Amino acid sequence: MPDEKEFIALLNRHQKILYKVCNLYMDQHADREDLFQEITLQAWKAYGNFRGDAKFSTWLYRVALNTAITFFRKEKRQPDIYATDQVPDNHKDTYDPIEEQVKAMYAAIGNLSKSDKAIVMLYLEDYDYREIGEMMGITANHVAVKMNRIKTRLKEETQKNEANYNYQTRWN
Amino acid sequence: MELDELKSLINQKLTTADAGRSGNDIAQILTRRTGSVIDKLKRSLWIEIFSCIGAILLFAYFGFAGGNHAYHIYFSVFAVLTAIFLVIVIYLLKRTQQLSATALPVKSNLQTIVHIIESFMKRYFQFTMGMIPACFVFALLLIYQDHGSIPDAGTIFGAYFKTTGQMFLFLIGYVTLLAAGIYYFTRWYLKRLYGRYVEQLKQCILELEEQD
Repeated sequence: MPDEKEFIALLNRHQKILYKVCNLYMDQHADREDLFQEITLQAWKAYGNFRGDAKFSTWLYRVALNTAITFFRKEKRQPDIYATDQVPDNHKDTYDPIEEQVKAMYAAIGNLSKSDKAIVMLYLEDYDYREIGEMMGITANHVAVKMNRIKTRLKEETQKNEANYNYQTRWN
Repeated sequence: MELDELKSLINQKLTTADAGRSGNDIAQILTRRTGSVIDKLKRSLWIEIFSCIGAILLFAYFGFAGGNHAYHIYFSVFAVLTAIFLVIVIYLLKRTQQLSATALPVKSNLQTIVHIIESFMKRYFQFTMGMIPACFVFALLLIYQDHGSIPDAGTIFGAYFKTTGQMFLFLIGYVTLLAAGIYYFTRWYLKRLYGRYVEQLKQCILELEEQD
């Protein structure tokens, strides 16, 4: 029987991983809560077999991504997209170009497929292509090809989102 | 701007939206029930196991305690069929338990889930469809062998059918309709339960395999 206290302490220390995955995969607060709960439960069930060969954070990423990718809501509360106009903006009158670019990029990541989101997430965490490949179950070369394609797509979408934003602010 | 230039800011944005949870909150989560499809399937499998055990005991009882030879064969065959199904269900349960206990790479995890759900759907469908001819053949055998001990059988058939040919025509039509109904209903039911989910998982696998 795995040690519950030890698990809770470890998860507490690494809960940022869970927030990242939940925020990336769910746009609604209630859905994020559900996913957080689901990942915690799945991690607890698998914890008995965690041997410590890999870092806990790497293992937790694997469990969290597996859960997020296979987690489907019965009914969508809202469309699962991150449109730039859905991101709450409290500073519309103070234009910050970097903040707008982050929002546009965030929205573009939100439009990626579930598997591409997972690759981006691991890339953002500075895992190399080999490690990403191991976690995803594909080769490092394949990760490199995918990452190139994702970067191009994100760049294009970010430019489109920014252009939309600039057009809106000019006419509002 | 490129993804690499915004890396730290995106990372920051991904972690700032929620407040942290305490150890007590996490401990409370551990007492709840999971809502994943694979865990629902696991619960279904446990229900199937208990139902199968109940059915086997019941069939075995009627098989051994049955007053005549036809009853004996009829219920014993059902007990055997249900026992075969039970073995398959236990195997699938073991697979789902192994899956829950390991953190496989994403692609293998998806493939295993698809395989388990498809196996369950396939076996469930085969078992349901296999029961129809078994029921029909043994019911006929029962009537043929023991029509004397089923006093109403002759009266019922005699009232509606003038010849044995007519009766067989009716029975064949009836079983064909029943089989078609069960065939489409079972397919619809399984598709409704798992079909869309399996399609989505397969789509994820395809995306991961997709290469120029």
